[in-house]
Amino acid sequence: MASLSSKISITAAQNQLVQWINDAGMSEGARRADNLRKAVELLLHQCSSVLPQYIENILTYYCDKSVDVRKLVIAFIEELSKLHPQFLPKIISQLRQLVSDSVIAVQKRAIQASSIVYRNTLMWICQGASETSEMQFVWKNITELKLVVLNMIDSDNEGIRTHSIKFLEEVVLLQTPSDGAGDEFNLDTLPANMTFIDRRALEEESETIFQLLVKFHNSQHISSVNLMACMTTLCLLAKFRPKFMPGVIKALGDLHTTLPPTLSQSQVNSVRKQLKMLLVNLIKHPSSNDMIPQLTQLLIDIGMTTQEINKVLPKDKRNKRVGEIKNGDAPAKRIRIDSPQSNSQGSDSNSNSRSEFNMLFDDDSLPPTLAKPVTPTEDSIYEGLNNVEDVVNLVTHTLVNYLPNEMPITFVHAYKPIPNSGSKAQKRNLAKMILALINNKEETVPLPVIAPVPVPVPPAPVLSEVSSKIPLLRDDEEKVTLKNAVAKLQESAKAEKQMESAVSRLMEETRQDHLKEEERKQKEKEKPVPPQTPSVPKLKQKVKLLKLQEITRPIPKEIKERLIVQAVERILKAETEAAIGGAAHIRAKFITIFASSYTPELRELVLNYILDDPANRIDLALSWLYEEYAFMQGFNRHPVTLQPKVHEKHDQNYNQLLCALITQICERGDPLMESSKDMLLRKVYSECPVVTDEAVDYLKHLVMEDKVALLALELLEELCLMRPPRAHKYVASLLCHILNENEEIRDVALKSILKIYKRSTDAVRKVIEKHALLYLGFISLNHPPPELSDNARGVRSVWTDEMYQMCLNLVMALLTENEELIIEVARVYGCAGSEAKRCVLRGVEAPVRAAAAAQARALSPAFVALLDECPRGAETLLTRLVHIFTERAPPSHELVSKIRELYATRVSDVRFLIPVLTGLTKKEILAALPKFIKLNPMVVKEVFNKLLGLQNPHEENSPVTPAELLVALHLIDPSMADLKYIIKATALCFAEKQTYTQDVLSAVLQRLTEEPEIPVLMMRTVLQALTLYPNLGPLVLNILQLLIEKEVWLNKVAWEGWVKCCERLVPQSGVLLAGLAPRALAALGAAPRLQAALQAHVAQLPPHQRAALPHHVLAFCQQEMAPPQFAAPMPIPMGVPAPVPPPMLVEPLPPGME
Amino acid sequence: MCDIYIAVVCSSNMNRSMEAHAFLAKKGFKVKSYGTGEKVKLPGASADRPNCYEFGVPYDDIYNDLLEKDKVYYTQNGILHMLDRNRRIKPSPEKFQVSTERFDVIITCEERVYDQVIEWFGSKRSVYNQPVHVVNMDIQDNHEEATIGAFLISDMVTKMAQSDDLDNDIDELLHDFEGKCHRPILNCIMFY
Repeated sequence: MASLSSKISITAAQNQLVQWINDAGMSEGARRADNLRKAVELLLHQCSSVLPQYIENILTYYCDKSVDVRKLVIAFIEELSKLHPQFLPKIISQLRQLVSDSVIAVQKRAIQASSIVYRNTLMWICQGASETSEMQFVWKNITELKLVVLNMIDSDNEGIRTHSIKFLEEVVLLQTPSDGAGDEFNLDTLPANMTFIDRRALEEESETIFQLLVKFHNSQHISSVNLMACMTTLCLLAKFRPKFMPGVIKALGDLHTTLPPTLSQSQVNSVRKQLKMLLVNLIKHPSSNDMIPQLTQLLIDIGMTTQEINKVLPKDKRNKRVGEIKNGDAPAKRIRIDSPQSNSQGSDSNSNSRSEFNMLFDDDSLPPTLAKPVTPTEDSIYEGLNNVEDVVNLVTHTLVNYLPNEMPITFVHAYKPIPNSGSKAQKRNLAKMILALINNKEETVPLPVIAPVPVPVPPAPVLSEVSSKIPLLRDDEEKVTLKNAVAKLQESAKAEKQMESAVSRLMEETRQDHLKEEERKQKEKEKPVPPQTPSVPKLKQKVKLLKLQEITRPIPKEIKERLIVQAVERILKAETEAAIGGAAHIRAKFITIFASSYTPELRELVLNYILDDPANRIDLALSWLYEEYAFMQGFNRHPVTLQPKVHEKHDQNYNQLLCALITQICERGDPLMESSKDMLLRKVYSECPVVTDEAVDYLKHLVMEDKVALLALELLEELCLMRPPRAHKYVASLLCHILNENEEIRDVALKSILKIYKRSTDAVRKVIEKHALLYLGFISLNHPPPELSDNARGVRSVWTDEMYQMCLNLVMALLTENEELIIEVARVYGCAGSEAKRCVLRGVEAPVRAAAAAQARALSPAFVALLDECPRGAETLLTRLVHIFTERAPPSHELVSKIRELYATRVSDVRFLIPVLTGLTKKEILAALPKFIKLNPMVVKEVFNKLLGLQNPHEENSPVTPAELLVALHLIDPSMADLKYIIKATALCFAEKQTYTQDVLSAVLQRLTEEPEIPVLMMRTVLQALTLYPNLGPLVLNILQLLIEKEVWLNKVAWEGWVKCCERLVPQSGVLLAGLAPRALAALGAAPRLQAALQAHVAQLPPHQRAALPHHVLAFCQQEMAPPQFAAPMPIPMGVPAPVPPPMLVEPLPPGME
Repeated sequence: MCDIYIAVVCSSNMNRSMEAHAFLAKKGFKVKSYGTGEKVKLPGASADRPNCYEFGVPYDDIYNDLLEKDKVYYTQNGILHMLDRNRRIKPSPEKFQVSTERFDVIITCEERVYDQVIEWFGSKRSVYNQPVHVVNMDIQDNHEEATIGAFLISDMVTKMAQSDDLDNDIDELLHDFEGKCHRPILNCIMFY
């Protein structure tokens, strides 16, 4: 039943199959693929019995339009080769066609299938179940297919390359004997009886392909994906075919050090990760036992720690490894190379690690048994090649023994003359090749060893024949494309299989030589240069990261700087050219930037250039200054690259430049500059962005120089005026010259400062005032300060008037501008010595007078303040000041009241009142009168002048009339003032005849008579008045009469005066005498003239009047003669006062001088 | 190569790979998702006590398990929501190392996962010699990053799908993409 049902189902399946195949034929594209897929499934798995019947139906679609269909066919072929290899002869040619399909996807699928088919083919052949002719047919096809795929490794398409790599891996695996357990197919499984298969040839071919893979793996233009595919393949080969292990490890090591330059960072990361993983896999694999040290070193290079490596290692290997690596351990720790992330191409550490690695490799790769005591090294061979004798021997030996009789054709084609023969590099290369030859010979004894091209080398006799057939591979070997290499390999494979291995070895050796050579060059150059990327136009250009820093070398600093200097020199020279070309502006900009941003040498260069013709290049200098200023202020920043150490204090550069310019202009002394020095200095100072302290100091110093002193002063003044913000700094330099020894400079400086003071801000004013007060303060010192007596070293010089004057100059000059200074002046005055005081008084005159004139009537607040304060000891000054103030104008009420106050509280000196006399009340004046008259006669005169309104320009009204004054004088209490002072004072009055006219005097006299007490000097005055004005006689008589009533004879002094008057007024006075009381008459006795007068008077009287006379009068007349003792006059100082000399304009003596 | 077969792999086949799986599936790609870890691990009550399940235990079972354990907590931290989404995509988490499928592209979400994938490939011989591109893009294991990651993966896969010849273009494509997404990308080729 079962068989029946299966038969039924098979029939049904067949029907279905036919149906699907028919459907496929009817449909197109995807539908067809769908139908075919189903058909194929059915055919392979259920209806394999009908395969022969329908196989063609499927295979015919191998050139179908649809890609899917073709891929399906390929899958069918693949499956078929596995399940039913007997059909291989039928399918192999289709596969061959499909491998060369026009569509890449199909090609790839075909290549993928090929590796499987190839394997299956070999296994099928091994079974030997089929006819030899079939097998031969299949073999021929598959060999061709192999060659086609082999060439595909050079394809433009990365995917095809990937697939072909995988295919080649399979080929290599299949064509090499396995030394491990023969669990799967290998070369050894291949039956020896197949005549058409040369096992040896296959093995050689696999070697070649392996080398090809290695070469591809290490090529510079490989894509990252293919590189990783290649790495995987190589490692797989190494694992399963341990004989490749050294080659693989070396290739991986090389890869680690020289990754393709086209990889991007993350690709590099991926590759390194892959590399690490593969190496770890390798090291775990038992086949790597012999290579543990190299692998470990490589892992360390990649960045694994020894602990990590130990962890990875299988236990049984670990001990062994420890023993082996012991020597290499120290360097291993030392060279903990970059992490996988870092791009290590060509870095020094890598070349180190690489050489380390290679060293390790080279040493160990020689089997210990073969390591002879004297191993030829590259160096020793190189030494030998330097010996002419040795070389001659070598050549002659080769010529005689090993030269073929005929020149091989390949040699003719391939030979190229050696370009660098005899050079060191060539010798070294040669040495390397010979060494390689010797080593190869030792390793693979049975193999013929080949000498590189035209240099014949001794070893085996076979050699010469072989050597001629080898394609020439030298330094430019990289340029020979893989394709050519493959083609040549194929060619030679046909000719002589044995040569293949030799060639590939040679390829490898030469490549290594090349690499080493490059490495050596790198070391020579210090800087890593990436390996040259051969131009392979066929390859698609991948992401190329051109790293400029790697292909260029920085120019040494010195050269760079020299170049810069030269460039700038050229720019400097091109002054006219630039001007003509209209680039003068840009040129100037350049120059300033160069000068300000680069080295000191450049600065100097540009500075000298400017100073060569400063008149014309001053603008350049200024723009440079501005540039420096911008840097100093941080408006500009030096680019980081232009910031060598010298620029660290670039804020100094501005100052240095400014000072250099100024000093050079002043001191260079070349005649050209001399003429324009003024202009240049002025320009620099006035136009530079900021004048530094040093520059100002220099200017200050210039004042000392004779020639430029005035210019310097002028500049300083200009600076102060033109640059107000910093004027307070500059002005100090000017101020110090106030004390200059040179009078001219002093004057100029003073004038300048005054000018500045008038125009400047408060800050500047403060500075000036400070200095003024400082200098003022000097005068209160006992000895002149060093500022003044700079030449008196140790010896204390003595003050002179001139010195005082110098100190006072400034403050006095400022007084007119700022009166408040007067307070300070007064303070200093208070504590200064008398000499100094005198100077101050003298000095203060002019400015105060000017101030007073300017101020007309109102009193300045400063002066008010001064009066309020009145510093101790400054009273004289104050007096003088008040004096000056009242000289021109009458004292204001304010002033008067202030002075009154002061007089009442502080100043007892009455002279203080003098200036304001006219402002005082009558009472005050009269109260002070006794004190006034005690003063120096000159002063008294002045006081009187004032009081009497003499020399009075202002026509002010004196509070006291002349009459009142005179009366007051008479009424002064003699206890308060000595009589002689009063007499002198009255004398002054009488001297003023214009004032004290007859009328005035008569009023005075009348007023005096009204006094209850007869004033002491009254009679004297009467007499004087009478002397001056005889017309006053009647009045005097009247007075005398009045005095009689007051019993004048009781007052001795008055009486004497009275008598004198009477005498003067004889004969009119006779009447008076007649009225005298008897006592008085008695007293008259001493005056004979009066007696006579009386007698005469009485005599002329009419008798009735005479009778009326008192009898004592008559009696007195009867006396003939008075007793002689009465004749002598009274010794009263009565002389008519000498005329008062006209008052001289004398300054009041300062206190203490009186 | 318009019909690429994609695998998205993370460690537990829960969050990142599933987010990308859902996203790519929605976009119509042929996609599967896997985990490479020993076990399926989900955050538990505390950091040191995660919830562990074997691969192959259905999402539904896990969902119910957690629902029972602490509904509020697992609702709050979004795990239940995630599981709910997952169970609607496919029945259970799958382990990458046991899958027999052959993909064109495998996308891993973490370098450790990438390493595990590569190691797995390295541990076995290739039979079919069919190449597969393994691409890693680091995605943090949280909801937000997973969503962003899914977007990025989708972008990348779209680009791959647009390529006529992915094998040929992959280098350039990934390089461009890397520049765009600002995340480091690892990639290599492996063979089935």
